[in-house]
Amino acid sequence: MEEKLINLKSNLESALKSVSKEADVLNIKSEYVGKKSEIQELLSGLKNMSIDEKKKYGSLINSTKKEMEELVNQKLEDAQNKSNVSFDDSTEYALNKGSLHPVTIVAKEVTDILKRMGFTVVSGPEMESEYYNFEALNVPKDHPARDMQDTYYLNNGMLLRTQTSDNQIHAMENYGAPLRICAPGRTFRNEDLDANHENTFFQIEGMVIDKGVSIENLLYVMQQVLSEVFKSNVKVRLRPGFFPFTEPSYEMDMSCLICGGKGCPTCKNSGYIEMVGSGMIHPNVLKAGGIDSEEYTGFAFGIGLTRLAMMKYKINDIRVLNSGDIRYLEQFEID
Amino acid sequence: MLISCNKLKSYIKNSSDIDWLNIWNTFTIRTAEVEEVREVGNTFDSVVVAEILTCTEHPDSDHMHILTVDAGDAEPIQVVCGAPNVRVGLKTAYVKVGGHIDGMEIKSRPLRGILSNGMCCSGREIGISDNHDGILDLPKEWVNGTNIKEYLSIDDIIVEIDNKSLTNRPDLWGHYGIAREICAITSHELLPLEVEEITNDKKDLDIVINNPELCYRYCGLKLDNILNNKTPLDMQIFLYYVGMRSISLLVDITNYLMLELGQPMHAFDSRVVENIEVGNANEGDKYTTLDGTMRTLTKDMLMIKNGNKYFCIAGVMGGLDSEILSDTTSAFIESATFNAGSVRRTAVKLGLRTEASSRYEKSLDPNMTDLAIKRLVYLLRKENPDMVIASNLTDIYPNPVSEEKIILDKKTLNIYMGRDLEDSQVKNILETLGFKVSITDDSIEVIVPSYRATKDIKIKQDLIEEIARIYGLENFTPRPLKLDLIPTIHENIFDQEYGVKNMLATKYDMHEVNSYLWYDTNLLKEFNLEINNVQLIGKETNNILRDDMSLSLMNIVNENFKNYNNFEIFEIGTIIKNNENKRVLSIILANEEKQLENVYNKAKDVVKYLFKIVKNKNICFVNNVNEKKYYDEALGKNIMLDNSKYGEINVLNKSLTNKLSKKKCVVTIDIDFDTFVKLEKESKLAKETSKYPTVTLDYTIILKERKYSDLKTCLDEFKSKLIKSCELLGVYENKYTIRYILGNDNRTLEQKDLQTFKERFISYIKENNFEIIE
Repeated sequence: MEEKLINLKSNLESALKSVSKEADVLNIKSEYVGKKSEIQELLSGLKNMSIDEKKKYGSLINSTKKEMEELVNQKLEDAQNKSNVSFDDSTEYALNKGSLHPVTIVAKEVTDILKRMGFTVVSGPEMESEYYNFEALNVPKDHPARDMQDTYYLNNGMLLRTQTSDNQIHAMENYGAPLRICAPGRTFRNEDLDANHENTFFQIEGMVIDKGVSIENLLYVMQQVLSEVFKSNVKVRLRPGFFPFTEPSYEMDMSCLICGGKGCPTCKNSGYIEMVGSGMIHPNVLKAGGIDSEEYTGFAFGIGLTRLAMMKYKINDIRVLNSGDIRYLEQFEID
Repeated sequence: MLISCNKLKSYIKNSSDIDWLNIWNTFTIRTAEVEEVREVGNTFDSVVVAEILTCTEHPDSDHMHILTVDAGDAEPIQVVCGAPNVRVGLKTAYVKVGGHIDGMEIKSRPLRGILSNGMCCSGREIGISDNHDGILDLPKEWVNGTNIKEYLSIDDIIVEIDNKSLTNRPDLWGHYGIAREICAITSHELLPLEVEEITNDKKDLDIVINNPELCYRYCGLKLDNILNNKTPLDMQIFLYYVGMRSISLLVDITNYLMLELGQPMHAFDSRVVENIEVGNANEGDKYTTLDGTMRTLTKDMLMIKNGNKYFCIAGVMGGLDSEILSDTTSAFIESATFNAGSVRRTAVKLGLRTEASSRYEKSLDPNMTDLAIKRLVYLLRKENPDMVIASNLTDIYPNPVSEEKIILDKKTLNIYMGRDLEDSQVKNILETLGFKVSITDDSIEVIVPSYRATKDIKIKQDLIEEIARIYGLENFTPRPLKLDLIPTIHENIFDQEYGVKNMLATKYDMHEVNSYLWYDTNLLKEFNLEINNVQLIGKETNNILRDDMSLSLMNIVNENFKNYNNFEIFEIGTIIKNNENKRVLSIILANEEKQLENVYNKAKDVVKYLFKIVKNKNICFVNNVNEKKYYDEALGKNIMLDNSKYGEINVLNKSLTNKLSKKKCVVTIDIDFDTFVKLEKESKLAKETSKYPTVTLDYTIILKERKYSDLKTCLDEFKSKLIKSCELLGVYENKYTIRYILGNDNRTLEQKDLQTFKERFISYIKENNFEIIE
């Protein structure tokens, strides 16, 4: 009997060793310690035994059964705690992702910087009146910029704005002084397309009006904006320029990032790259916006967002930007 | 514009103090952009004056000659020369043996067997003209053996200034004006121009101005006995260096004055000049200009007429009959000022931009015309000492420009500059630029010289610009604005546009595109569509502005079908509808035709998600009977919220889709972004979750011949307090599985509650003639 019990236990042990799944353990459980198992039969057979035998084997059978049950339950617990899902953990599929247009990414960057400096981002219409695009901006009737060769005129008497500066007038009319706005937007020039020329491109306009605004403030804001955009400490320089809507007007150059200002082909050996058209807002423009130029001064600037995007991503052909070609556009991450 | 530093030096006292190579960096930040600085004349050495003593033909050549020349040495030198103009007695330029031309050493070497020691040169060979017809013909009185650079200003620095940066500076379109600017920058003294004063003791010329608003001033002078029409070499070199051809003295000298003063001038053969009348052309008249081109005139073009015939297009170009001829000895000199806009419009209309017109269109100073004539007489007299002044300097100047006076208050000046300037500094800067200045306690009174008054100096800010740039823009320190810490105005259109773009690109993996404001007219033709909308003037193709954003994107869809079977793109842009700007979000889902149902449902999901996430609004879709024939008639949906339309979902019709690509479907979404932006976000309050469990009940309902929308209406009308939500779980063929979540916030549901619900629901569904699987 003792031998039989030892065998039962060791048979169980070896049976358990060969399985690992929960279902197999459950089968073994019913076979070895279930209602119809041998140990159960031995236990049931106790009642037919003599008192001596009962005394002799009763506790032995019971304890063996208990030990066997523990073995099975331990195994069962192990099996349940072990993951029973298996798969090829080395597979990798192609990444599905969308993309934002490079100009959108750059516009977001620049407006974020300006917002941190307290500028409001405003929007204006692409189809504009001659008044907002030219007249209110102090562009006289005879000015070459008004020529058909440069401007898209429409058969309803309107035109497509040639710059984002129309926002200056809208903003002054809407909000008055003091004012700090920037206006990213799409602009249009009647140009033939080539790798460097587009008839449809993006700019961002900026304008600050307050009491006592100076040329030095303009210089500061531009230096900060460009340093943030290019994530390096850029040097800026002002050069006399000419725009009808500012007086004085300045071309703002930025130290060339390729050569660090020593001179290279990119900057035509000047050490500087032309980046921003800017100036102090012309009194006639302030007047058109209903602001007293004796009380307030201000500055305005315009940066080519399309050009910035091309510089940032080293895009060689401007035409891809409006092509909608997903093969090209999908590479631009969402910053 | 090209500038010769030698010429500038001649107008400036102590000009040798100036570093002429490096001054141009300063000029760029003070005045105008310099594009290039180039040294010229340094390509050769050892070129001296030499006289041809003997000249014999080369025995083995049909064009070469054997010369002996006196180059100042003890012995004559033998040179072989192929130029046609060799002759005994000619003085020419000779490169000695050991000298260089263009980096090449000149050696003694045989030419067809005859030893040639050195070389006689043409103007082109030493880079002082483009003439290569023969060797140089130098003046008799020049001494043999003298380096020719001692006679001619050949070593020069030529500077190219960006014309665009001079747009607003009529005074800088001549060397004298540039010299004035250099003087202001370097604190040097500008020398006055030497002129010949003309005593008006003769007769006036017959000159009439009919349009004083277009011709401000016209000066004329008749000169006789001009016997020498040969341009001196120095002037030839100057003209060549700054990009003009030398023609003859009278022509060259007018060009020279244009380059010196910026004043375009004309010399006519006075044999053809009867009387001068300045007036408008007749519409449609024909006129042949100096370049031999026949041009059609319009009535707004200003003309110079002579003896009632057209003589010149004012400020643009003369005609053939006014040309100076080889036997011209008497000239009529014109020096006039015309209205800038008029000249520009005429030049643009004729497609004829000339050196003269590009200067006139900058608004030239009318006070320059008589000075230019006096200067011309002075220069011409040098070559023609016996020249006779045959008329009065006739000056028709109907409305002389009056002196411009501007008062600049110091307060404004200091605000702009961000600092206080010394009176003496301000005075000094303005005076070197030619302004007359008087300073009081709080203001600066300035009289503007006429050469700055025509265009760019009108208001006090213009004076501030002058002061700031000569003060030195590099001396400004970037200084932060000190402003009150007040919130700025909030306008969130840009933020909302970016937010939606970002969502579409990140949640739905779509690609943002940028396109054009107009339709691709080729595609419209392909689609056989006629769109009536606002048009660009003067363009034949791509001239119709878009009024349907998605339709305008179809050429992009077309291109991408070449590379992809399915793709999703979007743009937020402008359309022009009913003559107004409208912002629209267009999303296009393109896929294989068999995916239409999935794609269509995705389109609805995207729209619902967008309104829910951004605005916390639940929109619904209403069938839209489409007027636009290019969309599928049956599948149009309006996006509705509170009875207002926010956009549309459409499917491009089958025939147009086939034109793009076979077996495809194109689903479009257009959302009116202006109203979307204005839509207030529904505010949200936190809601407690129920403490009691909910029960999920799924029912499958079979739809025969009917649509889900019918079932939905029916379900919406079934009311019970227990319903927490009711959703469509899935569709298999015509079997629609609906999931109800039931619950009670105050207690656990009991079996009898559920039983009642089930019985009610099933009988309700049956009453509505739907079949339900129990």
